[in-house]
Parts: sequence; structure tokens; C-alpha cells
Amino acid sequence: MPRSIEFERHDTDILILGSGGAGLFAALHAQQTAPAGTRITIAVKGLLGKCGCTRMVQGGYNVALGPGDSVERHFMDTIHGGKWLPNQDMAWRLCEQAVVRVRELENEVGCVFDRNPDGSLHHKAFAGQTADRTVHKGDLTGIEIINRLMEQVLSRPVERLQEHRAIGLIPTPDGAALSGVLMIDMRSGAFRLVRARAVLMATGGGPSMYRYHTPSGEKAMDGLAMALRLGLPLRDMEMVQFHPTGLLAGDHTRMTGTVLEEGLRGSGGYLLDHQGRRFMFDHDPRGERATRDVVSRGIYAEMRRNENPDQLGVFISMAHLGPDNVRRMFPGMVKRCADCGFDLAGGLVEVVPTAHYFMGGVVVDPDTRSGIEGLYVAGEDAGGAHGANRLGGNGVANSTVYGGIAGEVMARDIARLRALREPDAAVLEAEIDRALRPFAQPAGHVQELRHRLQEIMWDDVGVMRTAAGLERGIGRVAEIAGELAGTGIAAQSRAFNPTWHDWLNLASLTEVSEVIARAALARENSRGAHFREDFPEPGDLDASSFTVARRSGDAVEVTREPVRFTIVRPGETILPEGEPETLVENP
Amino acid sequence: MADNGQLEVSVWRGDSGSGRFESFRVPAEDNQTVLDVVSWIQQNLAGDLAYRFACRVGMCGSCAMTVNGTPRWTCRTHVKKVARNNRLTIAPLANLPVIRDLATDMDPFFARWIGAGGRFVPQRTRDDPVAPVRPDSPGRQAADAGIECINCGVCHAACDTVAASPDYLGPAPLQRAWTLVNDERHGARGAVLAAVSGAGGCHNCHSMGNCTAHCPKELDPLRAIAGLKRATFLGAFGKEI
Repeated sequence: MPRSIEFERHDTDILILGSGGAGLFAALHAQQTAPAGTRITIAVKGLLGKCGCTRMVQGGYNVALGPGDSVERHFMDTIHGGKWLPNQDMAWRLCEQAVVRVRELENEVGCVFDRNPDGSLHHKAFAGQTADRTVHKGDLTGIEIINRLMEQVLSRPVERLQEHRAIGLIPTPDGAALSGVLMIDMRSGAFRLVRARAVLMATGGGPSMYRYHTPSGEKAMDGLAMALRLGLPLRDMEMVQFHPTGLLAGDHTRMTGTVLEEGLRGSGGYLLDHQGRRFMFDHDPRGERATRDVVSRGIYAEMRRNENPDQLGVFISMAHLGPDNVRRMFPGMVKRCADCGFDLAGGLVEVVPTAHYFMGGVVVDPDTRSGIEGLYVAGEDAGGAHGANRLGGNGVANSTVYGGIAGEVMARDIARLRALREPDAAVLEAEIDRALRPFAQPAGHVQELRHRLQEIMWDDVGVMRTAAGLERGIGRVAEIAGELAGTGIAAQSRAFNPTWHDWLNLASLTEVSEVIARAALARENSRGAHFREDFPEPGDLDASSFTVARRSGDAVEVTREPVRFTIVRPGETILPEGEPETLVENP
Repeated sequence: MADNGQLEVSVWRGDSGSGRFESFRVPAEDNQTVLDVVSWIQQNLAGDLAYRFACRVGMCGSCAMTVNGTPRWTCRTHVKKVARNNRLTIAPLANLPVIRDLATDMDPFFARWIGAGGRFVPQRTRDDPVAPVRPDSPGRQAADAGIECINCGVCHAACDTVAASPDYLGPAPLQRAWTLVNDERHGARGAVLAAVSGAGGCHNCHSMGNCTAHCPKELDPLRAIAGLKRATFLGAFGKEI
């Protein structure tokens, strides 16, 4: 056991990390499925239901319940969107179970999604979809889903560990299974080892190591960093989705990077360069309505071309649609911009591409089981369902579908995983030492280091990539890691110390940043969210492979594995013969 | 008096037992929210300043505090809107236990939320089709009026009755209860009315309207509570809702 640092212990049967769509559904399904008396614990870095990104979902939830739509069509759109890289069995289960999950959200959890005048569900078509598919609650779909799920979990006998941050997945001494999770009780600063027979990691990804990013403030890729340290394989780590229109309001404000919604472009908004010229038609015949990856690259190219030092981004302009119309169509967005001092309805708002979602994650099977006994992974922490790109509306479907599956699978598996397992004392000690490191170093400025990491990732590992830039990025990320190891914090109390957590956040982000850069260097083609200027072609689809990154010792190794086309091969479809390619008039 | 280009910020420091205001000077910026000010103090001057935020955009309701005496979301409050002579006073949200500094314990608020019957009880299952709900039906319109609440606790902090009566359920939980009373799919509408008509229930409200006046989402909990009062009154005379 660790030398001098004490830690508290807590035992449970099922431990869930995270309270987004995946974590809350896992708790609910575990509670519904497990034998009476099973202890279920949900641990969350902030407050239950309040932190995490599912809550921030604007657009909606993809489900094949609309007129003429089918699971097969949803699946084919997901495979095309993922550029043939998805794990097809996971993508299939996602599309198939989304139907059940939306009915459950409505009928059992209590959500109400928007309706047509006749009372039926309203479905809309997001970019990249061939049917009206996405169900939504205005543009605040995530709030409806998380509020209702949170109520279900709060009213059930589920134990809560709020403001508990997971810092280490602790295996058994032989490494054959997971013992539990080491946490920091953020309020008291105490370390707490929570042992469980089954653990779900659903901490959400959140690529907040980029200068501009959308995820909520507590997101720092802790989950993937923990998985990496445990030696688990991570796939598709080069796949970072950028949303094209993040608000640009200066480095000093947390507003910067937050999303201005997709619908602004969809309804006819213009993107203007520093001379007031619409530029997107230079890049794509669909102009501003092209898909997220294309528009992000278009904006990034314009930003590089622009030599006006007073302007970093481009402008979104809505006024030609009539300011009153814009206020009526996008009341939430107009108000949000107004609160921040910008006039979206009648003026220009400066925007940049912003890191939004992480397609990569832990390698799991379609039952959410990871490579180590006792650990399950769902939501943005898990890789495979989206491949090279995630369709808008497939993120919340993924977290809720697989979170629910994880809850059921864990509830059944604990019949087999009977005993709690003892932790590997050496790993436990190393994780505690790692977390305490900043208290023993001379005080520095953590935020300044974080800004530097974000600049590096934006410049060298961002929207458009080259081998030279990625190699430079890997070197510079290593410098940040070295400097962070020697950087301490002034505030010495461990209780509710946000700067300690800033340090730990940066440690996680730095570890994962290296892996993103190495995976991006390994993929010498351009697919979906990953674009190599030195390898702009997608490569042979039939020979598609995905990257797998793994840490052994201090080194990260990236290998490639062929995609198994278990359901459909490139050039083929599973839609019935004669079925039209699209049901949407202007996709 | 604060210098030009500087904000003079008083921040409440302390725990559930005691505390005091501490002063900080923060550079003023063009685009600056109250959350940015708090963050700057933590990142540069007081590393152990306890506060909480998550989404940054008014969706999670984690960052509400008392700013110049008024409960507000800090993430969506521009400094220019609230600073007086470049001065800000920032304290934790009222009517909730303080954990430390600007962070409160929101569990009592959520206990009231559930206590007011704020949880959907199903009559269908995941194997059934989704129930038809006409958006223009009176019940749905009444429910929609309050459904976008993000449980930030601002109305709870603004409410005089919450301050005076520790058992009072408070505006946000009662508003959620009213959405459920109006949800035709809800299987326990009578139980909601029973939950809100007891000792800490809707009849404690004496219609001061601070909830509605302070709601950052511009919702109207006062109206929802009035609806509950009517419905529980009618219920007392045996009329089924």
C-alpha cells in the first residue's frame, strides 16, 4: 500500500463513471436489470446530470422512425459518413437500438420531442442523411434528455459520488482484471479507491486540447488517458471532429469556441472572409451548406490566407434573411450572442472551426466490454461506431444506446464476476504519486501551459495536417509534458482546489494529444475528419484500415488493423433493390 | 475607486461556518463574462478559489452565483451589464448550503425537485409506439411553457418564501410538477398534486414573483404555481384532473 498517503475505500457492485447520456442510461438499466440489493454507484466529476456534453446537444437524435426511413438506411448513412471505417457491428447495433431507445425516452423516461400538428414525431434531415430522421426538442434536445434521465436516476436507489474525479483505473496485481477506480473527492481532496465488480467508463471524450473547442469546461479526456495508462488499445485516435462555427471572442473568455448552431448555415447564413466575400463556393458547390468537415477546412484555408492581424476568423452573417426572421428562427442563439455582446440577427459574428467531438476511443465489443475483465466503456470514450466522422444526431444516439446496453450487460455479468478484487498496490501508489506531483514542484502557471498546448494542437495537429507539422507537434507536446512535470501549484490545500484539477486536466490532455498526433502521422490518407495535405486522397476503400494506439512503458505504438466489412463492402448497399438513394429533396 | 481598465472585484471566501469578502483587481476586457472574471482570479491570484461551471453557454445551470446582490448565471452575464463603477461583488447562491467560497451544495434543491413528484411515471413501454401528442393541445402548451428549465437554482435563490420556510419546495420543483400535471402521458398526476398540496407545497407561495423576475430562461414559475394552486383547490372539491 502507498507509503504515507492515506486513501479511503469504498466498495460497490456496479460503478459508473460519468452522468451524461451513457452514464445515466447505464445506471437506469443496471437498476432495472440487476438483482434486488445490487449496489449501483454513479460517480461524476461535476454535479449529477449537469456536467458532461449530452446536455449540450442542440440538434437532435437520429432514429429511423420517420416516413420511409429504415434501420438499413440509417446504417448506410452512418457507414458512408464514417468513410467505411466504422466497426459495422457497432454501427448496426447503434441504428437498430436507437429505435428502442427513443421509444424508451418518450414512453418510460418522460421526454417529449417535437411533434407534427397531427401529434406524430417530427423528424428533420441533418447534413449527410438521406431521410428525415433526427428527432429533437427545439434546439435544446440535450436538456430534455438529461433532465428527464436525471430525474429517473435521482429518484432511484443509486448511490451518488458527485465532484469525484477518476484518476486511475486500478487493475488486480496480475493485471487480468480491473479492481476498481482511484478517485479524488474534489470537495475534500481525499483519495478514494472505489472497488466494483463491474465498472463502466463513460466520462465522455471532449477534445479540449485545441485552442478552440466546444466541450464543457471539466472535459479533459481523463477517460482515455486512464485507459492509455492501463495499456488498453485505443482506435481511430486521429479522428477529431471540428464544428465549423465556433464563437470567437478572445482568448480571455470561456465563450470562445462555443458552438453557433449548424442550422444557421442550413437556413441560408453566409460565411464571409475579411473582405466581406462569400468564399465557401471556392471550396464546394454546396457552399455554406457543405458538411462540417468540408466547411471547417474551407474556413481554416481562408484563415491562413488572411493577412489582416485584427481578424483571426471569418464572419457569419444572417442579416440578409431579415433580422426579425433570424430572431424568430433562432431565438436561443440570438439571445446567447446578445448576452455575450454580439448581434447575430443584424450584424457580423466572428467564427472559427472548433474541436467538437472525438470519434476515437477504447476498443470495445458491441456489448461494451473492453479488453480487461470488469471494465466496460460506452459513449464518447468508446471507439468504433462512427469511424472517421460522426453524423450530426448520432452522438447522443451512441451514448444513450450503448450506455443502456452497458447497464444491462454489467447487471448480468456480475452474476459471474462475483467477488471484489484486490488492487495492484504498485499501480495505486504510482497514480497517487502522479496526482500529488504538482504539490512538490515550484509554483508555475498551469493556464499558460494549457494555452501553449492548445496552440500546438491547433497549428500542428488540427484541421489540416502534414507529416512535418505532426512531427513538430509531437516534439512540442513532449516539451509541454516535460514542463508540466516540473510545474507546481501555489495553492497547497487539496480541498476544492480548481488549480490542482487544472493541472490534472492538462496532464490528461497532454497524454492524449501525443496519441492523436501519432495516429494522425500513421494515417497517410485523408478520411472524414482527418485531412492530410500531403496525402489528400482517401486511399483504397476496399483496403481500409483503422489505427490502434497502445502505450507500453513510456512509448506509444500505433499499428493498423484492417476494417472487417461484416455487413456491407465498399460499393455495395444493404438497401433493398429499387430503393432510392435519398428520400430528401435537397440533402 | 477602481483604475481605468481594472475591475475591482469583491469575492466571498469561506465555508458553511464563516467567511468574508476578499478584494481582487482584474483586467477589464471587451468580451468578458462574470465567469471569466472568477476564472481569471482563480487562474492568476487565488488558485484555491472554489467555484463551479461546466457548459459555458447557459445549458447546464452549474455556475449561478450572487452578482451585485442578484442571483444570475455567471457564464451568460456580461460584465458591462452588471458592473457599477467597475465594481463587482460576487457571492455564492443564496438559500443553499455553501461548500466553500462560491460553490454551493445543490442536493437540497434536487431533493425538493424529486419531492414535488418531479419524475415521469410511465404508462407505456419501450416496445410500444410513441404516444401521439398534439402540440396545440392545452395540456401540452401548459407543459411546454415550463419544460426548458435547466434547474440552475436562480429562482430558488431569489425566492423569499424559500428563505423563510426551509420546507418549501420552491419555484423550480413546483414548475416541474405543473408540467407533469399537464402531461397526459404521466401515470401519477394525482400523486403530483398530493405532493405539492402538503405542508411545503404550492400554497406557501405568496406570489411575490421573484422567481419569474429572475429566471434567466424567461420562464414563468409563478404562473405554474398559480396553476397548481387552482388544480389542488379543485381537487379538494373532488374534481378529477
